[in-house]
Amino acid sequence: MRSGIDITWAQEASAEPVTVGDVTVTPRARALVVRTPRGGFVWNRPSAVIVERSGQVRRIQVVDVTRVLQLGLLGLGLAIAVASAFSSPRRTEVAP
Amino acid sequence: MTDSKDTTLDEAVSLIDKANGRAATMLEKVFAAAQPGAVYGQPVTAEGYTVITAAEVTSGGGFGMGMGLGPASRSDATAAPTVEAAPPEDRETGAGGGVGGGGGGGGGAMGRPVAVIAIGPDGVTIKPVVDTTKLALAGLTAWATMLGLLRARRRARKR
Repeated sequence: MRSGIDITWAQEASAEPVTVGDVTVTPRARALVVRTPRGGFVWNRPSAVIVERSGQVRRIQVVDVTRVLQLGLLGLGLAIAVASAFSSPRRTEVAP
Repeated sequence: MTDSKDTTLDEAVSLIDKANGRAATMLEKVFAAAQPGAVYGQPVTAEGYTVITAAEVTSGGGFGMGMGLGPASRSDATAAPTVEAAPPEDRETGAGGGVGGGGGGGGGAMGRPVAVIAIGPDGVTIKPVVDTTKLALAGLTAWATMLGLLRARRRARKR
């Protein structure tokens, strides 16, 4: 019987291209897959869009604004906590 | 513990095999979320624009099962503690004692819209979808933490 996490990997794959007029759009997604003998976990999110127009290829990143702002708030909270801890007044012991 | 068992070991093993098969099917469904098609929706065209939705998808699941043999009706307590350890004749007849087993599993999936891809006359644009509820909750949590820190600092100054 196998034990522990068997396979963990990240993969980037393309979805079906969509052609509208002379523009072809190929969405790409990035997935994190964890496979264990008795279960698994998948985290899949959009990463970018490849746009092909008249022979020119352009890659546009898909930014998760909600996640960025959430992490920003978390970072701000941590920064303030650290700053508060370092700037708190230190009590000095006076010898009798 | 009964001497006349309704479920023999073979039946129990076949039940476990069946459960294993179902668990494998469930895991296939969990791992289907790793496909790019799970993230992007079908293109919708209206008024000269083609729109594709993009979402973050998370799924997970797991299961577990087990079975064993209870103390035998034998007095010498030589019954095997597990099915694997049981002698072949006991596996066929279930003569090693009571047979017990169980299993369970669970799973879930979650999706959250991230952006909308619009293909129109002015080119391809990606419009982010902002989850204000999540942001409000994160902001409230950060604010409450800061308030707690400030209070703790004030108390420290007073001492």
